[in-house]
Amino acid sequence: MANLKSVQEGIVNSQIWKSVFRVGIPNTNRKRVLAVLGSLILHLHPVKVRRSGVRMSYTWCMGGTSFFLFLVETVTGLLLMFYYRPTIEYAFTDILDLREQAPFGIMREMHRWGAHAMVIAVWLHMFRVFMTGSYKPPREFNWNIGVILLVLTLLLSFTGYLLPWDQLAIWAITVGSNMARATPGAGNEGPMSGLIKLGDIRLIHAGDDARFALIGGRSIGPSTLLRFYVLHCMVIPLAAGFLMAIHFWRVRKDGGISGPL
Amino acid sequence: MAEEITPFQVAPKTPLAGSAAADIRDQGEITRRSFPLVLTTAWVALAAALGGLASILGRFMFPNVLFEPVQKFKAGFLNDYTVGAVDERWKEKYGIWLVRNEKVMYALIAVCTHLGCTPNWLESQNKFKCPCHGSGYYRTGVNFEGPAPRPLERAKIFLDPADGQIVVDKSVQFHQERGEWTNPDSFIKT
Amino acid sequence: MTFLKDFINTLSAASTSFLLLTSVFAFVVFFNLLEGKIRSKVGAIFIAFGTLFVVVGFAVRPLLYLGIAYFVILFMLSNLGGRLWDKRVGLRLLIGALAAFGLSMLDPNFFLIAAKPDNVPIGAMIFLLGIFTWIALRKAYLNDRQLAAGGIPWEKTESDEKLFTWPDLVYTEMLCMILLTIVMIVWSIALRAPLEEAANPTSSPNPAKAPWYFLGLQEMLVYFDPWLAGVVLPTLIIVGLMAIPYIDTNPKGNGYYSFRERKWEIGVFLYGFLVLWSFLIITGTFLRGPNWNFFGPFEYWDPNKLVPLVNVDLSEIIWVKLLGMPLPKLWILRESFGILLVLAYLSLPPLLAAKPFRRFYLKMGGPRYYVGSFLFLFMMALPIKMVLRWLFNLKYIVHIQEIFFNI
Repeated sequence: MANLKSVQEGIVNSQIWKSVFRVGIPNTNRKRVLAVLGSLILHLHPVKVRRSGVRMSYTWCMGGTSFFLFLVETVTGLLLMFYYRPTIEYAFTDILDLREQAPFGIMREMHRWGAHAMVIAVWLHMFRVFMTGSYKPPREFNWNIGVILLVLTLLLSFTGYLLPWDQLAIWAITVGSNMARATPGAGNEGPMSGLIKLGDIRLIHAGDDARFALIGGRSIGPSTLLRFYVLHCMVIPLAAGFLMAIHFWRVRKDGGISGPL
Repeated sequence: MAEEITPFQVAPKTPLAGSAAADIRDQGEITRRSFPLVLTTAWVALAAALGGLASILGRFMFPNVLFEPVQKFKAGFLNDYTVGAVDERWKEKYGIWLVRNEKVMYALIAVCTHLGCTPNWLESQNKFKCPCHGSGYYRTGVNFEGPAPRPLERAKIFLDPADGQIVVDKSVQFHQERGEWTNPDSFIKT
Repeated sequence: MTFLKDFINTLSAASTSFLLLTSVFAFVVFFNLLEGKIRSKVGAIFIAFGTLFVVVGFAVRPLLYLGIAYFVILFMLSNLGGRLWDKRVGLRLLIGALAAFGLSMLDPNFFLIAAKPDNVPIGAMIFLLGIFTWIALRKAYLNDRQLAAGGIPWEKTESDEKLFTWPDLVYTEMLCMILLTIVMIVWSIALRAPLEEAANPTSSPNPAKAPWYFLGLQEMLVYFDPWLAGVVLPTLIIVGLMAIPYIDTNPKGNGYYSFRERKWEIGVFLYGFLVLWSFLIITGTFLRGPNWNFFGPFEYWDPNKLVPLVNVDLSEIIWVKLLGMPLPKLWILRESFGILLVLAYLSLPPLLAAKPFRRFYLKMGGPRYYVGSFLFLFMMALPIKMVLRWLFNLKYIVHIQEIFFNI
């Protein structure tokens, strides 16, 4: 026992350990403060938090769950990218390969289920924030960031829906993207779009409307798959990550996890 | 005596000679009166530049060349089709129903006008029914139930003068609500 | 058992209109439940409403069922009263719901739908929503009682007490992460994620459904044209959510669960979130079958089910049926009644600001009042259109196909 203790102390006092974790084991209040302040990841948190902010019955832990699921999606998604090719020849068979042949073939399942779970977690997070009135001043702006993050979560899930290129995928996207055709003034079947004319020629038609830009053509096809792939893997996650940073930052700056004023 | 400039002397007499700022200065200082004009011009120029850049980026998302399947196909001879039937043989491949009745034959495009799903032909109920939101169409293509806002579209159909086969061209479409179904290209007299 | 299944089948097909028609009243019941007194004047309104259902119901069977269900629910709620927020009662309700779900899984038709991979998260969502709504309202009830007795909300009693992030928060987070990781791994091993056959652009599956979280929108698409249901209304949902903190100037209830101090906000939000969003998702998942027809939860999804339905427009009802004239050629004349009706609907806020809602107008100020009430009007447009479709088969109030402008 004494040996174990000395080994532990030897490690904790070594130069290598101390160069990484400056504080040592946080067993005094001073060290607890320093442990949080001295770490990039931990200092997302304040040094001290309200008691209700730690209570699961108050926070439901849904914000943290959403973020954690985002990380799960990032990691599993990255792994899927090693096997998946976004072309109509290979997309479906690559997914089959991922679930039947790839080692530990649960990455695709976890990515899909994680996406569903994340949508529910984000909704419940919003629900909790509303029910505790935590959108009220000074947190109005952060509620708005949260709404945008909710929309981005749905868009992430929606763009990911097409990628397996199965029946579920293309029909869901057919229905979803056809709505863009009806955008007022910008879709070829939207109200007012017919009024945008040059002489007798309609300027907004199936070849240049909002839907065309979304799916990269007149019908769902290879370019749609590629577009959604890029949106799903790069554009939306980066935007969401950026907004999440602001979201967390504002939670701290607006007084920490909400509590009664 | 010529003035000697040592490295420590930092202030020559005409410090901005020949520079743009000096030109402006020569023409007169930016006065209190002209300042709003200069400011506005600068902002408008910046906004125009950014707008131009944004529209170039936007245009980038609209491809110039599309790689899409062929729109035109030959559908055999008139006698291959039964009178009074909705023929589904080209639905799989081209998304077209050929409907023949006593007088005419026309090609309906199998895309629901609501949100683009493929409707099914229900022989027993004598109607096309969309599985997505339940739009229903008569055999003519005219909508009568569900959320579809307008009738199905008809494709250009004609007999090839060379071999007498039916040719369907999906790229030319006829809308009933624009009164285009009377166009002679939208049907074949049988 | 067969009778029960038939009862539920018939009920659920009609439940959308039932819920939409009554949920406005249902929230009044909630108000009173929270205060533990259901036997008030409101009860009389409910009994009148239920009686109406039963009387009319003898002609139409679903309505009779609705009436019975109405009385049963009313009876149960009035007996429970404030005890609904008792932990033991809550647990019993949860066990009851789980048992009902488990029993229903024995039915082959129900099993087929509920066990479909894509529908698993929705099953989970139903229970999670129920549990968390109950928790939130229970906490609100407890706080309201404290406040009414002149006390302070529970969260405030410990708001001065601060804990060190290390170890209290950090360890809680780590436990959550480990737990979630285990859940995700078990879930992924136990259940295959949804994957259907390879894409085929020429044959839609029947029914063809949007991703489950958009089924509320898909349900909306039945009642509105895509430009409204797919573009304008979703945009307004987002704008509306973002506008909440700026419209709601009530300083109370900031940072703790409460209900009595925020009846209107919570009422409207729960209506939008639970009824118009979540309930429509559940409807779209479990009750919409082939050809987008309504099916009860225990009903066989018959692709050949015949539902005679011919939609009519408002212009047709007025010009052809009431006035006995052919439809005018000019659309502005043809649709004049519909356009007037829509304008009248949109001019409700300024009219109401003059007298009945004067209190709100003065309290909120002009801009807040108008933005808030227009958003509310657009939200209510959905249930109104749904009820019109259900009762009169009405398709469009304004139908100007010439410029794709249909409402």
